[in-house]
Formats: sequence, C-alpha cells, structure tokens
Amino acid sequence: MLFHTPQFFAFFLVVLALFYTLPRPATRWILLAASYFFYMCWNAKFVLLIIALTAIDYTAAMWMRRIPASRKRKAALVMSLSANLGFLGFFKYYNFLAGNLAWVLSQPLDAFALHIILPMGISFHTFQSMSYVIDVYRGQQEVIADPVDYALYIAFFPQLVAGPIVRARHFFADLYHWRAPDAREILRGTLLVVFGLLKKLAIADQFARIADAFFRDPAAHPGWLAAWSGVIAFSLQIFFDFSGYTDMAIGLAQILGFHFPENFRRPYLARSITEFWRRWHISLSTWLRDYLYIPLGGNRHGRWHTYRNLILTMLLGGLWHGASWNFVIWGGYHGALLSLERVAGIRERQHWSLADPVRVAFTFALASISWVFFRAATLRDSLHILRRLFSGSHGHILWLHWQLWFVLAALVLAVLEESYGWFERLPEAPAWVYASAIAVFLFCLELIGFSGRAVPFVYFQF
Amino acid sequence: MALVTRRFSVPARLGLALLLFFALDALAFRTGWYVSILEPNSTAGALEAYLDIEEQRPVGRYRQVLSVGDSRMGLKTRVANLLTGNTGCAFGTISVPGTTPRCWYYMLREVDPGCDRYDAILVPLDSYDDRSWENQADRDLDISYLTPLLRVADLPRFVLSYPSWANRAHAAEAVLLKGLAYQHDFQSFLAGPLTRLEGARLHEEHEREWYYNAVWERRSLAGMSVDWNAKTVTLPAWLEPDKRREIEHALLDDPPPISAGFARYRRQWLGAILDRYRGSHTRFIFLRLPRRPVVRPETPPADPSSTVRQFAAAGRIVLLPEHMFDSLERPDLFGDALHVNEEGGYQFSMMLAGEVGRLLAPAQGAR
Repeated sequence: MLFHTPQFFAFFLVVLALFYTLPRPATRWILLAASYFFYMCWNAKFVLLIIALTAIDYTAAMWMRRIPASRKRKAALVMSLSANLGFLGFFKYYNFLAGNLAWVLSQPLDAFALHIILPMGISFHTFQSMSYVIDVYRGQQEVIADPVDYALYIAFFPQLVAGPIVRARHFFADLYHWRAPDAREILRGTLLVVFGLLKKLAIADQFARIADAFFRDPAAHPGWLAAWSGVIAFSLQIFFDFSGYTDMAIGLAQILGFHFPENFRRPYLARSITEFWRRWHISLSTWLRDYLYIPLGGNRHGRWHTYRNLILTMLLGGLWHGASWNFVIWGGYHGALLSLERVAGIRERQHWSLADPVRVAFTFALASISWVFFRAATLRDSLHILRRLFSGSHGHILWLHWQLWFVLAALVLAVLEESYGWFERLPEAPAWVYASAIAVFLFCLELIGFSGRAVPFVYFQF
Repeated sequence: MALVTRRFSVPARLGLALLLFFALDALAFRTGWYVSILEPNSTAGALEAYLDIEEQRPVGRYRQVLSVGDSRMGLKTRVANLLTGNTGCAFGTISVPGTTPRCWYYMLREVDPGCDRYDAILVPLDSYDDRSWENQADRDLDISYLTPLLRVADLPRFVLSYPSWANRAHAAEAVLLKGLAYQHDFQSFLAGPLTRLEGARLHEEHEREWYYNAVWERRSLAGMSVDWNAKTVTLPAWLEPDKRREIEHALLDDPPPISAGFARYRRQWLGAILDRYRGSHTRFIFLRLPRRPVVRPETPPADPSSTVRQFAAAGRIVLLPEHMFDSLERPDLFGDALHVNEEGGYQFSMMLAGEVGRLLAPAQGAR
C-alpha cells in the first residue's frame, strides 16, 4: 500500500474517521493498529520483527530506569544497540559481507549468499529506535513506560517506511500534549499531501523513466549530453521522489495532530556541499551528527581528526543507504568534499551574492556526480558513466522540451520560496489563492502525473 | 479538530479548490478546443475525425442513410453515392475501425442529437446469432474511443456497463476527469506542440477528402484454396506470415460459441440505440457482412431467439436476408482474413446501396 495509491487514501480516510470520532484513550490503539496494518500490507511476517525490536528497546530503556548504576545501564544500551545493529546487519549487510568474503577466498560470489528479503523501512525505524535508547542512556529522554505509546513511536505509519527520522522528545511531546490541529494546520497538511503527490507523480516519475532508460543501458545513449541529462534526470527523480514522500508524511501527520521536522530545504539551491547536507535529508544528517560525528569527537580534536570524523561519518552514512561499494564510495565522496570545503574555509553564508548562481550550479553538478554511484547497478557501470560525463561526442539530450520548461518553472518556484516563503504562507493566504494553488497542483497532477503502474518510492528500498 | 475559525474554513477552501480544479478541467477539455487538436491517428482522434466529417456533410434533398460499424463495414460511400440518382439515397458513414455497439450509441447521439437527421441507419454484424469469443462488455478500448463524447450525465449508464471494477474506475475517469483520460495525448502534445497543431490543421483541412477517397487494399487473396478435410489453406505468396496465420485461424477454427453475455451486451446497446430512435422516422437496417474470403462448407444452425432476430420479429428493425452477401465471400474480393479489398468494397457498396434504395423507396412513396 504505497502513499500515492487510491488504496492508501481510502485507508487514511478510515483511520482519520476513527481517530477523530472514537474517544481519546482509544486513538493510540487505533493509530498503532493502523500502523501495523499498513506495514502488514507489504509483508505480514515482518511486523514481528518490528514488534521484537520494539520490545527489546522498550525493555532496555525500562531496565535503564530501574538500574541507575552506569555499568548496568551501559549493558542495557549495548544489548539494545546490538539487537538493532544485528538485525540491520543481517538483513541489509549479510549478503554484501558474504560476497566480499567469497571474493577474498576466490569463491563464486554467491557461495555464501542467502535469499534475504530486506524488511521495508528497517534502516529508518532502527535509527529512530536507537536514538531513543541512546537519549535515555544519556539522560536526555524520559523513559516511556507505556508500551503502546512506545510501539506507536516506532511504527507510526506516516514515517514508518522512509522517515523522516523523528526524535522521541518531539514525538512524545505531540502525543502527550496532543491537541486537535487547527484549521490552518489542516490546510497546511492538505497542501503538503497534494504537493507531495505532485512532486512524486508529476516530476519524479517522469524523470524516473529517463533515468531508468539511461542507467539500464548507458551504452545505448552515447554522448556527454545524454550522460549528463540521464544523470541529472536521476538527481531530479531522487529529490522529488524523496521530498515528495516526506511532504506527504509531514502533511498526513499534521492532519492527525503530529508535527514532523522539516527534512528537505531546497537542497539543490545549496552553494556548497556543506550547505547541501544542511538542506538534504535533514533528519538523517542531524542523526549522523548527533549519534556518530559528535561521539567520534566532531571537530574538537584538531583539523585532521575533524576530516577523519567527517569522512568516517559519511562513509557510514553511505553504507546506511545500501550494502554495496557504490554506497560506500558515495559516502566517501561526500565526506571528502565536506573535508575539502573545510580545508578551503567554505562556510554556509546567509546572504546571497552575484557569484552564488555559479556556486549553486557547481554544487548541483558535484551532487549529481555522486548520484551516479547511488544509482548505477555496479561500480563498473558507475565508472563507465563518469567517463562518459567528461568525454566523447556530445550526443543528444534525453529530455523532452516541455520537461526542461517544467523543471525551470520548478526552479523559479524554489527560488521564490527561498526568498519569500510563498509555500508556507499559502495556508494563510486568501481563500481563493489557497484554492487556486491546490486546483493548479491537482490539474498538473491530472495532466502529467504518471498514471501507469505505481512506481515505488526510491527510499522504500532502504 | 477545528475545521472553521474566524480566518479559515477548511471545507470552504477545499470545496473551492475542487470547484476550481473541475472548472480548469472543463475549460481545457470540455469546450471542444482540445478535441480539435487531438492526435489525429489516436483512437479518439480518428473517431472525432469521422464524426466531424459526418457532422459537416451537407444534407441535401436525398434520403439520408448513415452507416455505423467497425473496419469490416465494407461500405465505400463514394461508390454508394454514385448510385444516388437511382436510389435516391445519400450515404454517410461513421464506421470507425475497432468500434462496437456501445461506441455506436454515443457516436449516433453526437451526429444525430435530435434523432431526425437520417432516414435509415445501417448496422453491420458478423453474425445474426449472438456469437463472440470476446467479452465486449468489458472492453476498455471503448473508453479510449469515447472519452471526447462522454458527459457527466453518462456516468451511471456508461460506468455500470462495465462488469469489472477496474474498468468501471477507468470509465468513471473518462467521464469525470477528462485531463486524466487525455493524459498520454496531452504529453505527446507537449513533446511537439507546433507539429501537433500543424498536423491537426492539415488533417482538418483534408480529412474529408482523405477518408472519402481512401483506396483500400488493392491486392486480393485470389489463388487461395482450402482443403477442408486436411484443414490446410494455400495462400498467395505476397501475404505476410501474421496475415497467413490470421486467415488460417479465421477459416479453420471453430466458430465462436453463442454467448449469453454477448446477447445481453447486444440487447443493452443495440437496444439502447433503438430505444433512442423510438418514435422517429429513422429505420434501422441490420445486415450480415461478407465474413470470410470463402464460404465455410458447414454452418452452425441459426438461433431463432438471437437478439437481432427478436428485434426483427418485434418490427423494430429491418433484417436483410442473412445470405444476401454470401456471393461476395470470395478470395478475389478480400484483402485479408476479415476485410474486403478495394474491389470487394466496390461490389458490396453497389449491392448494399441498391438494396437500401429499394427498401426505402416505398417509404418515400407513402409520404
């Protein structure tokens, strides 16, 4: 049951009706049951995995509360982290490690492989769960005594499968001090859902067709123009796909009275890779900062340690996305760029200058190059495409003219949002302005939304 | 959940948004502008072209005869109209390849909204029995053809005519959300707007002449022979392999079974056409087409209770003799398994025009 299918909207309407009509004490049960049902629509068996991890982390946190002695608290923390990383490692990385071991031992690459199905959303809910247990250990988070509340935090359906990664303190603040969303919040939530659908179906899926065709067989599309247009198509696909999903998740949660953090802030307008990571998948980058980069020492032990920590954090961040050397290189590439920018003294700046459009374009190009590793099927394909980006004949652009105009229009809207915040102001605008915006979004969705077989969200595979 | 505050009213804003959305959709797709620039070679575009030609065909002092049907309707109006002086009939056609009785109902509504334009409407059939392999009731291609013709008021009848929920949803889309139904066409328009506009303009300028003077397959199956005992067919050398297979299937396979579902479908849509014209002066003439390039040696017994025979028995239609065009079931008059060729079309049109003229003549005399 994907977010952009009619079945999901029917499901959401039922949940909404029950949530707002049943007595308040029942609503947590309703949301939890709905969340498990939502997950079971993908694979019923794997709900047991979520329940098991929930039980382990819940028990670990309760144990920490009962036994204040630091060594035993640490044991509880280690047990919890081992369980989360163990499950994550087995489902996500076993075959990667087995393949590398086989390669080292000169065995066939599938010699030790197992047929493993990756549970949907495991990377997100384990990170969310770990952040809770670590915060409890650090004394930054109250222990949640009600198992239903904790289970709901882990499984809450708007963000279960692809985030944003919500911190426990934010979620429980909403849950325990829940108040019905006001009209403005409902209008904003609805706007986000429609806008997210538009991003996913009208833009991401349009560019998915181009990117899929290019990455499936790069040799069939000769020339550097074809290569750049194929790679940029994927840059656009992954942004509009993931941010579209996130917008919908934030919007759906807001309609239910929950407030998720912003996850994307126009990342392709970043003027440096440092700034890019402050705008892209913000809930992951802040998670990596708080639970990996800073514990590693952050920037507290001199320049070289800082560079090492940056690269290590980004390497692990890359590996979090997927079990392959491509993701490791993708992470390492970003870590190296972040370090280089530190060396060059590039810092995030508030004000824009005349040279900034060039910086934006350059940063976008650097980010797009990284997506080659993210999207290509193999390392060999990645290297082949990289060569193609900078050599050979020009070939031809894989896009249709109208797609180019459409992206330019999206760019103008992004720049206007950056300067004037028009999108955030829409719910408060006069009724006819708000209604016109929704009507135009729906009309675009109707005309250029991809209406074939539902294309899954890219980040569902993580 | 506070839906209404002093500054915001959720239902009002969302209601207004929906209203504006439907207004945009209607402005773009229900005013006739977009239909005029549909891709001429698409299903809906081709159908629109046929209807456009027929709507613009001047109605003179002759009796007006219109033909519905699919690509197998071998009536060449240019040939039939050569006999107008003798028959007193002017022929028009909205026989569009791939269309079915459900399409004909909406097409006739479009070209003859008052049910008063035609003296006779010709309805060609492959068989007077309700025989079909295909479940025409659930044929989603009809939706592609009919999108430009469907109105909001058609929603219950059109949608419920599909048995499957998937096609009902698809049909509802075509009625309510025109933009969604035209999505592929619109995106192809965006890919080359100027080319499309120019193509549509050219098509509109010349479509009557192109369709009216179209030359069908000139080659024939002359020389083919069938050994019914050995179940083998010998075919002319020029035929492509897929055409050969089609002919072998058409001749050697068992005829389709009598289908209760198909009978229901015919009663529903042919009945709806007849009901619409009830009380008008239009006569309906049903005919059995030349079916194959050879007459099969054995024919299954006729079903006296078939839909069209019941219509004829009730006096609602004129049923031409079932074997009237059997003489045209000859290899030299066919271009493939199912379609008459240029010569076959010529002979069929002459025969049909003469017969229709004869049938309508007494009616005129009685006026």
